[in-house]
Amino acid sequence: MKLALTLASALTLGIYAVPSQAEAAPKCGMNTGKAATGKPIVVGGIHGNAAPGDFSASTDAAKAYFDCVNANGGINGRPIDYRIENDQWNPEMAAQAASKLVKDAKAVALVGNGSFMEMAVNANTYKQENIMVMASACAISECFESSNIVSTNQGPLPSNLGATQYAQEELGTKNVGCIGLNIPNNGPWSCQVSIDYMKSKGGNGSMALLNPGAPDVNSALLEAIANGSDTILLNLPSGLAIAVLKAAEEQGLRDEYKWIAPTPLYDLSVPKALGDYWDGHVYVNAELAPFQVGGPDAKNWIEVMDAYAKPEDPRDTFAQSGYLSATYFVKAMLEMDTADLDDRAKVTEKIKSISGYKSDLMCGTYYVGDSDFHMPNRAGYMLKIENGGFTIVRDCYEFESSYFDKHIALEKQLGLR
Amino acid sequence: MIGSKALNWCLYLGLMAATILFLAWGKPQKIVGLFFVSGLAVGSLYALGGIGMVVLYRATGVLNFANGAIGAAGVMTAWQLGQWGIWEPLTWLSAIAVALVLSVGYGRFIAPALAWREPVVKAVATLGFALIILGFVSYLWIDDPRKFSLPTDKIGVRILGLRVTVTRLIAFGMSVGIVILIHQYLTRTSIGLHMRALANNRDISALIGIPILRTETIAWGISGVIAGFTGLMFGDLIRLEPTVITFMVIPSIAAAICGRLQSLSLVLIGGLSMGVIESLLTLSPYLKSVRPIAPFIIAALVLLYFQRGRRLSFGGAD
Repeated sequence: MKLALTLASALTLGIYAVPSQAEAAPKCGMNTGKAATGKPIVVGGIHGNAAPGDFSASTDAAKAYFDCVNANGGINGRPIDYRIENDQWNPEMAAQAASKLVKDAKAVALVGNGSFMEMAVNANTYKQENIMVMASACAISECFESSNIVSTNQGPLPSNLGATQYAQEELGTKNVGCIGLNIPNNGPWSCQVSIDYMKSKGGNGSMALLNPGAPDVNSALLEAIANGSDTILLNLPSGLAIAVLKAAEEQGLRDEYKWIAPTPLYDLSVPKALGDYWDGHVYVNAELAPFQVGGPDAKNWIEVMDAYAKPEDPRDTFAQSGYLSATYFVKAMLEMDTADLDDRAKVTEKIKSISGYKSDLMCGTYYVGDSDFHMPNRAGYMLKIENGGFTIVRDCYEFESSYFDKHIALEKQLGLR
Repeated sequence: MIGSKALNWCLYLGLMAATILFLAWGKPQKIVGLFFVSGLAVGSLYALGGIGMVVLYRATGVLNFANGAIGAAGVMTAWQLGQWGIWEPLTWLSAIAVALVLSVGYGRFIAPALAWREPVVKAVATLGFALIILGFVSYLWIDDPRKFSLPTDKIGVRILGLRVTVTRLIAFGMSVGIVILIHQYLTRTSIGLHMRALANNRDISALIGIPILRTETIAWGISGVIAGFTGLMFGDLIRLEPTVITFMVIPSIAAAICGRLQSLSLVLIGGLSMGVIESLLTLSPYLKSVRPIAPFIIAALVLLYFQRGRRLSFGGAD
């Protein structure tokens, strides 16, 4: 995958960097070209990286951007001291990582967090310590239903819904079968909203839940079929989703059902892993701009990664999301009085006041707000696996659900609607 | 003795029939058939893993937790060679060769140093070996979407409405075939006799001149070949994720326990039963969430049943 993504990024860079080498220099923060030498601002980041998954792409990209900012004047002359911890998917390690960053290192904020684990463990700590987390790779409900965590990525709930909405409107879906992980704050939470959406449109839906280590994906597929589904929503990490599609291929089920998936399947290695059989038959929702969309921020992200990240660091959706969180954080900090940058309460207050930030990497407007829930990214693209890659079949569109009523009310209150 | 065996079989068949009837009650026959055949396919994989463990345990007294990791290393090697365009049969052979080398390497150079330690120490040592292999494999092949397929995936037959690929039939056939082959090997060859002697009493076997190291190395080799083959099946039929393949050893242990780490035929039946019941539990809205623990409940029930009338002391069973 890394090779494929590097090639993709090289291609993207090639398209946008043709005019001159000088234009390939990334733009970061104050963009002075001079290194920041003042008192460092301590910022933390926590990711999960151990078998069976690596969520470090978001903190890798945030670090690359912060390094670029530090080389370009920092935050009004003050560099960002970005400290990254790994929770190793272990609740105890996750609590220790947060304690180390928030209590010992006195970080003023956490940026780029990516984990299945740490948000569930630490959401209350962040609230008690009055520190904001600008996360980037969230997949569980605590990430989106807490006062002190806001993420640039969508997580499974909106991305599932986006895929379901597209299937209902364009593919004629009447009954969706959501195959998800049997983790309460992930699978059932994120499948239910898509099922509710189908019911609100006169259709139906059901969920078939899989244990993450389950060997028998066939049973979940059979359960979805037995429930009368005409569309299978693969609400799973890419490895498991591929296993389900392989089981479906074994049964020759491709043409009898419609196949849709949220963002985890938007990975450049997936079309090759699936092979010709699935080409043109799987629809995937993308929560951030697909790589072929381009735009100034997309171009700058690649340039930052190439200049400041390691060659092997992934250039994927989580990396886009980590970069975005870091840029929004820096933008907010540059709007603050430099003397207040060590005051966590003031930094938290500033982050909560963020409203109306835009980027070509994200369809909607980014905001935070002072609330017990945050889900600013609720619009995306729909893609189709085609010709060994991904084709955009629907441009930016907003997802509809009564679940978002409170978010929409907050947006109206912030003057964003 | 024969009466007791017949009673056991009757009890087993009765319980299985009752469980299947209970779970399938009121469901369309076609759906039940689909889940039944699907369960048999997964059960044959549990059995395959369990058989590899029991073969080694009987000869060496080592419960090898590294079987899954060894298989994972093998199938990842096969996948990588396939990506480099190597002729497919060679990649499969390489998987078995890697597993053979890892297994014999451990059996020849590490296991003898622990030969006189307690069985639990030997087992924990293999767990350490499994984690080393898993760490190395995860370092070489980062978390990434991959798929491993065999040409036999494309050919299949319909059984009770479910299309069963030739790969699944091979997994099932091999699990039965290995049981027969190993049984023949143990009863009809001198090495088999040595293995049985070692399984009965290692000290006396050594005193009467049985070549322990040679016999055990052969047992590790057989176990490695089975682990390599099982890894290929797991990579194809479950998914190509080293961690998942490594920890498939856990339900395989449950299957092995069903055979009380002795009887290969009971491991086979236990593994198949676990797969079928686990699959059919999906049909129950109340019980489907307990599917992952089904193999262990079955193994515990089997142990309790065979334990009846016996009294355990610190020195063992009285």
